[in-house]
Amino acid sequence: MANTVIGSSIVVDGEISGEEPLTILGTVKGKIAAASSVVVESGATVEADVEGQTVTVSGKLTGNVTAREKLELRPESKMVGNAKAPRIVVADGATFKGNVDMDV
Amino acid sequence: MASEESCLIGSKTTVRGQVSGKQDLVIEGRVEGHIGLDSNLTVEEGGSVEADVEATVATLRGEVRGPVTALRSLVVEASSRVAGKLKAPSITIEDGARFSGEIEMDVELPAGVTHGNA
Repeated sequence: MANTVIGSSIVVDGEISGEEPLTILGTVKGKIAAASSVVVESGATVEADVEGQTVTVSGKLTGNVTAREKLELRPESKMVGNAKAPRIVVADGATFKGNVDMDV
Repeated sequence: MASEESCLIGSKTTVRGQVSGKQDLVIEGRVEGHIGLDSNLTVEEGGSVEADVEATVATLRGEVRGPVTALRSLVVEASSRVAGKLKAPSITIEDGARFSGEIEMDVELPAGVTHGNA
């Protein structure tokens, strides 16, 4: 199945929902609700509440994130917001401000 | 940014709101709201769009409802179902396409001839 890709010079203002993997290279504002993986690539800007199975951030994310499986903040990432996931990885070099809830 | 890297709304994805940019966009899923591109738009067969659409070249193969404005050309292909106002300097409607609405091509009419709806 083809993934959904929001290209680097595309801006989405609103809500994205779906069942297939979502890759963001551009800008998304609003809300993201994915049944599968969400990848915020390096250079991407997301100002949205994000919900996904796995959420991987290499770019900039402002908003609350709920990952049903795993949240990963890669070395170059910048995230401001609350993170909720059973597994959370924050890489060396990642910038993060917010609460972490691992449901323990 | 060249359009080598594709921008795709997959078949099981819905976008509600505004999509804008200068990169070619292919829609296989659903978009509701507004699409404003300085580039080309393709609505694939199976894709559905309920939005105000602006693009350079628009190619419609799926279901589209709403005014569609193309800066250069607009193609309504045989597999598509389209309703709304189409505006472009060049418009193609293929045999088999289902279309309901208005077409505006911005033509210079000879003197003495008035627009039908003028």
